Amino acid sequence: MYALSMSDERQKPGPSGQTEADPAALLDRVARDRDKAALAELFAIFAPRIKSMMMKLGADAALAEDLAQETLLSVWRKAHLYVAGRGAVATWIFTIARNLRIDQLRRQSNKPYVDLESIEIESDARGAPSLLEESEIVDRVSRAIETLSPEQREVVRLSFVHELPHAEIAVRVGIPLGTVKSRLRLAYDRLRPMLEDLH
Amino acid sequence: MTIAFHPDISTLMAWSAGTLDEPFAVVVSTHMAMCEACRETARRTDLIGGALLKAETAEPMSDGALERLLEAADDERIDLPEPRGSDSVDPSVPQPLARYLPDGLDAVKWKFSGPGVATCELPTGTNANGRLMLLRVGAGKRVPEHGHGGQELTLILRGAYGDRFGRFAAGDLADHDEDVEHQPIAEPGEDCICLVAVDARLNFRSRVIRTLQPLFGF
Ligand SMILES: [Zn+2]
Repeated sequence: MYALSMSDERQKPGPSGQTEADPAALLDRVARDRDKAALAELFAIFAPRIKSMMMKLGADAALAEDLAQETLLSVWRKAHLYVAGRGAVATWIFTIARNLRIDQLRRQSNKPYVDLESIEIESDARGAPSLLEESEIVDRVSRAIETLSPEQREVVRLSFVHELPHAEIAVRVGIPLGTVKSRLRLAYDRLRPMLEDLH
Repeated sequence: MTIAFHPDISTLMAWSAGTLDEPFAVVVSTHMAMCEACRETARRTDLIGGALLKAETAEPMSDGALERLLEAADDERIDLPEPRGSDSVDPSVPQPLARYLPDGLDAVKWKFSGPGVATCELPTGTNANGRLMLLRVGAGKRVPEHGHGGQELTLILRGAYGDRFGRFAAGDLADHDEDVEHQPIAEPGEDCICLVAVDARLNFRSRVIRTLQPLFGF
């Protein structure tokens, strides 16, 4: 049925990234052919990383794993809604995991987190698609993040990976809230030219 | 729609990271529904999350996790696109806000909050720290001068007001830090209706908050 041939290589975040199949191609196979082997490969790439991210923001291993599973199941169910050329698959999966995490927190609220995709469907205004390959987008953004100063990178990581609100970042790092915001602004100024044509 | 005032970039980054408190996220999403420039920016800030996820170290999943996923995937349910059109009877209410305001702006039950000023609190989840509310300032009326005990986001839905920062009309968003003091005055001709998120972790003892108290009913 499905290939369980993922090598250990794939379970690790190799800096090479060469051994991993292109997530955009895998997602396309899921959307068009309902291909479970492709789903299994997406699982191998993303589930352990989502689990790791969820644990950094304080989820215990069981909850982090549930959220990773839920994310991949959403990928299976939403694959046909992903618009090719609209940013990297990694970004799309990040937003799914983020929304699930928030909705979990807000479970007493019946209002799911609104993402860019649903806002755009509503306003019927999509930007021009990017012509870049998935791996190129991810590599360029990663390289751009590498150019940040250690202080800037720290607040960006605490925000996006540990998903701490700015006020909590201020406490964690021991700097005023205003400094958190100004570091993020400086980080964005630095990233912006490199992100310009990527989405 | 020409929009002159947008959320601070650090606020949009928090929106992408998913760390905004619910009331603030609603105000930013509603602004984004009205603002192509901020949707463009959010596409870029979302990329940061994707790249950092890809660079994340792997925490091995437990045995059988993949098999359980594939079993769950046997259920062929797929998600349909969100239905188009506002959830609200009021077409002028953008979709992210419509869930909080299904009956539209004209059906709001206003609560008197001072001369020319009315408010209506919108219910949020129990995990929200801040508060989400509508603020209506009568045409030509002024909001008492106030500062902020925390962050405050104000999105204009109808009408316009002016303060020392300029003229704020429909779609404009004022993103104010705690040290900001201002005194908005609604333009004559039409009531100004705003969607406001305020931080509820306020210092009740401060002079500033005592002035805000009667306004927001703290
Ligand atoms: Zn904007």
